[in-house]
Amino acid sequence: MRAEGFEPAKMSEPMGYAIELAGVTKRFGDFTAVKDLTLRVSRGEIFGLLGPNGSGKTTTINMVSGLSQPSSGHVVVLGHDMATDSRRMRRSLGSVPQETALYEELSAEANLRFHADLFDVPRQGLEKRMTQLLDLVQLQERRRSRVSTFSGGMKRRLALARALLHDPELLYLDEPTLGVDVQSRRALWNYILDLKKQGKTALITTNYLEEANALCDRLAILDHGQLIVEDTPANLKRKYGDTVIELMLDPEPQSELLEKLRKLNGVADVTHVDGLVKVTVEGEQAVAGKVVMLVTRSSRLVSINQHTPNLDDVFLSLTGRALRD
Amino acid sequence: MAVGRDLRVIGAVARNDIQVALTDRLFFFVGLIIPLNFLFVFILFALSGGLAPTAIVMNDHGPLAQQFVNAMGSSHSFRIHVTDATQAQRQIEAGDIVAVVTIPPDFDANLLAGRRVELPVLVNNLQTDFTNDIRRAVPLAITSFYASAFPNQVVVQAQEVDVQMHDTDYVPYLAVSVVVAAVLITGILQGSIVAAREYESNTIKELMLSPAPRWALAAGKVVGTVILNVGAVVVVTGVVVLLVGARPVHPLELVGLALLTMAAAVSIGILAGSLLKRRQAAIPLAIGLTLPLFFMSGPFGPANWLGPVGGFIALLSPMFYAIEAFQHAFHGYQTAPPSLATDVVVLIGFAAVSIVASAWVLNRARVAH
Repeated sequence: MRAEGFEPAKMSEPMGYAIELAGVTKRFGDFTAVKDLTLRVSRGEIFGLLGPNGSGKTTTINMVSGLSQPSSGHVVVLGHDMATDSRRMRRSLGSVPQETALYEELSAEANLRFHADLFDVPRQGLEKRMTQLLDLVQLQERRRSRVSTFSGGMKRRLALARALLHDPELLYLDEPTLGVDVQSRRALWNYILDLKKQGKTALITTNYLEEANALCDRLAILDHGQLIVEDTPANLKRKYGDTVIELMLDPEPQSELLEKLRKLNGVADVTHVDGLVKVTVEGEQAVAGKVVMLVTRSSRLVSINQHTPNLDDVFLSLTGRALRD
Repeated sequence: MAVGRDLRVIGAVARNDIQVALTDRLFFFVGLIIPLNFLFVFILFALSGGLAPTAIVMNDHGPLAQQFVNAMGSSHSFRIHVTDATQAQRQIEAGDIVAVVTIPPDFDANLLAGRRVELPVLVNNLQTDFTNDIRRAVPLAITSFYASAFPNQVVVQAQEVDVQMHDTDYVPYLAVSVVVAAVLITGILQGSIVAAREYESNTIKELMLSPAPRWALAAGKVVGTVILNVGAVVVVTGVVVLLVGARPVHPLELVGLALLTMAAAVSIGILAGSLLKRRQAAIPLAIGLTLPLFFMSGPFGPANWLGPVGGFIALLSPMFYAIEAFQHAFHGYQTAPPSLATDVVVLIGFAAVSIVASAWVLNRARVAH
């Protein structure tokens, strides 16, 4: 059964979509993990699924990779319906699951060889390709070490090398830098950005706006299994501000003050939760002074903090409530 | 080429499982300790239940009295020793023996004179199994003694014609069944562990995301686990051959049957592990499944002797066919019709159906979020 009006792009179309989700819903008993999700990811694009824990990101990526079936709707990958063709598609897909799914008792090399056998990677040239990938993820010196001795970042890098071993057209990365130290995170970002240069498509889930901003051409923000917004990072930034000013006031501000703040030139949004006023500022305009001057007329400024917007800020703007977890 | 690709997958999965299992202490525990423990428990059970320990107090040492003691010793019912009355009394009170048979004074003289002889038999009738053994075996020993000492007086004699070429003692017979049970319990346990471990460690995703045929993944697991268990089979069989003294009359047939039975058991285990997805659930199920299978598959004699219901239930168990086939390899006979070929075909069928079912389960497997 096709969703109404849904026509998947054909593989033969050079600019066809890599991933198409049409009205996808996933239920686990009474719980709806993903609700009526429609998305399209172009070939050669790095697309981010952004959202807090439990927002439906992993469920979505599992349905796209064929690890899970939607309760309703359609998932089409590289022109093939995953409900019927997932086996045929697997050779074109690479996956870095959240848990890495590495055999911890085995060496890095043994994990790669096993993957090569499962994906029927030609034996000729395999050694060279393994060496190239281990060089790429900087694990060449540890190729014979047991994976159980690796740090979280090393495991993620190895999982990435394994996912690339059979040269997939489309790559899924589920929370690629979760629990990874800053240095490893930067290295992983570089590898992922290299994929784009190679013309590969990548679907990434992340909790971090900063990561999505650094990697993704476009983003979809999910919450409670629903799509809240889908746009480029630049547009999201524009929409939800380049800067956030947080002001703690005593006594709590009146609604008139909040209205006055909203009317200031360069202010995109003003929210107020538990005495904390968040003023989102567009572009590079220097409005902090005007904001402070305005609020100190009626309240005492207890503290002030200025930062670039994070997922929490975008969430607050979009949903009127703080990010869970 | 598809065949080459499938063989590559089977080889890779087998090699992978062997490498992973060899790092796991649970493998050695399940692979050796459990089957050996199973073997020793049942052999001890057989040894303890076979012959009733009996003391003989000889108040007459004449040739007829001696001949009677020999008849008791040859009855395959008693483990006898000769002692004095005081010691015998102490032993039966201590529970060391089941019965005391006392040869009265003038035993020889009274028999030769044709006078009635009362033979005191003191029985510890603690439980009827041993008590009835004594009640049955003492009169039989008397008859046997009479037939040899006074052949002219015993005019009715059984003319035994044996169906089998040779007798088989109870323990070597039972030991073969126990070897089969040990092979099956090891195979089912290891198979279920190998499959469930993939789910527990989330490495199942690597298999699920691969384009490899599901049947080849399941078959690779069977091959790897069978290779892993070869050592356990050799040790268990070696114990039976060397310690119990059961020598296989068809050694090569035994090797083939051991591998086939192990493959069938591992396949069943892999199916169980794939369904349960947790070793904590799979291990007790494997043990809980094997024990009733053992008892309903005719381990102590042909399954048909269990009666029509018991015989029918036995037909549903892979252990029934394995026991039959192993008895043929060890002792050269078929314990129940129809044939060794049928046993082999049924065991192959169990393995094939389990592999196909495991592949189906893997194909249907979905992650839980």
